[in-house]
Amino acid sequence: MSIRLSVILIAVSVLSLETACRRDRGSFLPVDPNAAVFWDRQDTQSAALMRGMVEEFNAQSRLLPIRWEHGGGYAEIFRKVSAGIQAGLLPAMAVSYESMTSEYIAAGAAVPLDRWIHDPQVGLTEKDLSDFFPATLECNRYALHGNRMYSFPLAKSVLVMYCNREVMRCAGIQKAPETWTDFLEACRTIHQATGKAALAAVPDCSTFSGMVFSMGGEVYDGSRLQYDGPESLASFSLLEEMVREGLLSLAPPGTFDDNIALVRGDAAFVMRSSSSRTYLLKMAGEKGATLLDIVPIPQKNPRRPATVLFGPNVTIFPVPEPQQKAAWGFVRWFTQPEQAARWAVATGYLPVRRSALTHPLIRQNWDTWPPNRVPYDCLEFARSEPNVDGWQQVRVLVERALTEVMSGTRTAREVAEWLQREGTRALKRATQAEGRPGRDDRNST
Amino acid sequence: MSFRTVSEKYRERALAGVLLSPALLLLFIFTYFPMFIAFRMSLYGGRRGPGPWVGLDNYREALTSPDFWMALRVTAYYVLGIVPASLALGFAIAYGLHRVGPGRALLRTCFFIPYITSTVAAAMVWRALFNPRYGVANQLLSWIGLPPQRWLLESRGVLFLLTGGWIPADWGPSLALCCIILFDIWHLSGFMVVVFLAALQAMPRELEEAARLDGAGSVTLAIRIVLPAVRPTLLFLAVAGMCKTLQSFNSIYTLTQGSTVLPETQTLIYYAYAQFYEFGYWGYGSAVAVILTVLIIVLTALQFRMLDRGRSMS
Repeated sequence: MSIRLSVILIAVSVLSLETACRRDRGSFLPVDPNAAVFWDRQDTQSAALMRGMVEEFNAQSRLLPIRWEHGGGYAEIFRKVSAGIQAGLLPAMAVSYESMTSEYIAAGAAVPLDRWIHDPQVGLTEKDLSDFFPATLECNRYALHGNRMYSFPLAKSVLVMYCNREVMRCAGIQKAPETWTDFLEACRTIHQATGKAALAAVPDCSTFSGMVFSMGGEVYDGSRLQYDGPESLASFSLLEEMVREGLLSLAPPGTFDDNIALVRGDAAFVMRSSSSRTYLLKMAGEKGATLLDIVPIPQKNPRRPATVLFGPNVTIFPVPEPQQKAAWGFVRWFTQPEQAARWAVATGYLPVRRSALTHPLIRQNWDTWPPNRVPYDCLEFARSEPNVDGWQQVRVLVERALTEVMSGTRTAREVAEWLQREGTRALKRATQAEGRPGRDDRNST
Repeated sequence: MSFRTVSEKYRERALAGVLLSPALLLLFIFTYFPMFIAFRMSLYGGRRGPGPWVGLDNYREALTSPDFWMALRVTAYYVLGIVPASLALGFAIAYGLHRVGPGRALLRTCFFIPYITSTVAAAMVWRALFNPRYGVANQLLSWIGLPPQRWLLESRGVLFLLTGGWIPADWGPSLALCCIILFDIWHLSGFMVVVFLAALQAMPRELEEAARLDGAGSVTLAIRIVLPAVRPTLLFLAVAGMCKTLQSFNSIYTLTQGSTVLPETQTLIYYAYAQFYEFGYWGYGSAVAVILTVLIIVLTALQFRMLDRGRSMS
């Protein structure tokens, strides 16, 4: 009798607790009811600057104050937000990549920003909007979700190539390669002259997307992955050839070993985000400006260049309206040319508005070290990666494929076919889980 | 039965209830309630939020998914790699310490330190040791004339690498998993040493002395006399080690830098985590977690049965 009673009591308690904890989908409590909390990835010096700018904004704003918090790297912030979605407790906003925002949309945890953007009081005018680099806005529109803007660009960066001039000089190379053919030849020359692997690289999905774009291809055409396409295959084949000839040194994912190799002179080239330049120059010390150079990544056709656009966007979460309004107010203020120029010069990120490029601080930054200008020139032809549901898993698959090719364990053709198959499966699974028909199903109807 | 005896009995029960209730409450809130939620979640679809009711579809999907079976295989390699090795190492060290006279306490502390060191901190150091470019492991290999390895990035089987390609690359655990296993053996053995040592010190001296008088050598003594005497401890450590290893997450996460790139290092718990948090399949991730829980319960029950048999034999 007592056992039965205990079981009944436990069952009743569990169900009551579960009912008490249940909440409506799409409604979240704010982390701090008296402030709009902002989870950001900046650390050390850039964090100090961001904190200062937040204080500056708070001093002049009549909205709820912004409370800035360091949330770890992008991946950690993504995990924290995922846990927050589960707990029903979220900050007002967080930095995010497009693939992360699409996951938040799937959970009903992202606010469409069109309402704030076009708000007559706190929104942006048509003139303001036309001042933004188009690609920076376009990548924040989510075609699968009514083409609405669920995130907003805060600052951007592009994929560029960093060169160690000293290693290049030792190999007799005067100028950084502009095409992939020249790049491969330069790597061979460097390897022959110095015995070093010319390129140090981490397996990274965005870098690979940049390579495919620069080969003239796409990774996703709006309905189908393109990893089995000629440009993707050419990119994998290039990496395979470089590994076979000892021209490429693989650095563990998530590390900065490639940057270390570049500064130490163990490699001549590294492909990384333009925002790495502040860090690289600091690591190189006094000789940094003469040792390092920045160039656009090699192209198949330099007359039609392309690279990948990345860098932080901000997602605003469905917390109460005062928090949302304060969050939007901060984003709007932060992207204005004055603030954007200060941020860009100090951190290496790029402003998202054209008018910021005429700011004296930016001009001075270019004059101080001319390679600083290169990422700004790349902004004109940079393109973003897809922001479809399930892309987060595709990124992991791409990195798996890259690790295989860059380790020399599988051939370019094998990984291209595998990636196309598994990536398609991942996207289909995501759309089916969302309750929408899979892409294959839609194509067949 | 007198009225007084009945009243005392109820009073004792009430006291037991009062004493147990805080622990039961905590257990209920932090263990059974989340378990119930996880089970309920496993019956729903959707991503990063409650989707439609799908019944047992998530379980069906898991049991037919090659990735799930891959994770189960990796888990088996992981548990079978760590538990027997750390038991053997723990027993050998404890037996050695048991026979050492002076300095036993100091040596015991030395062996216990890895266990009380933070897993994350220790794993970060090991990750640096296994760094393919700047790590000590490759430097050691170069000193003895062997080619450098990719260690934690190597997806190919260790048997494939050792036999120069005679055995297929997907047979046996990958080199990356072996690196993680090695770390966990190092980390777990200290705990085994201390528990074994306590059991050895509690063992009657006469047993050993009688065996010695009968002419038993050191090895015979250890295998024929000491090991059977500590059998209940051995079985307890096997159960505890297996449960701990099946739930192990920190070492894998830190050594792989939270990467889900190599499925060859993904145990079931890590697979459930990746599906749940990284890719947003809450229902599916919960179903995998429930399967893992059932697996742990079944294996623990089996080992407890063996433990009982061991107790009755000893």
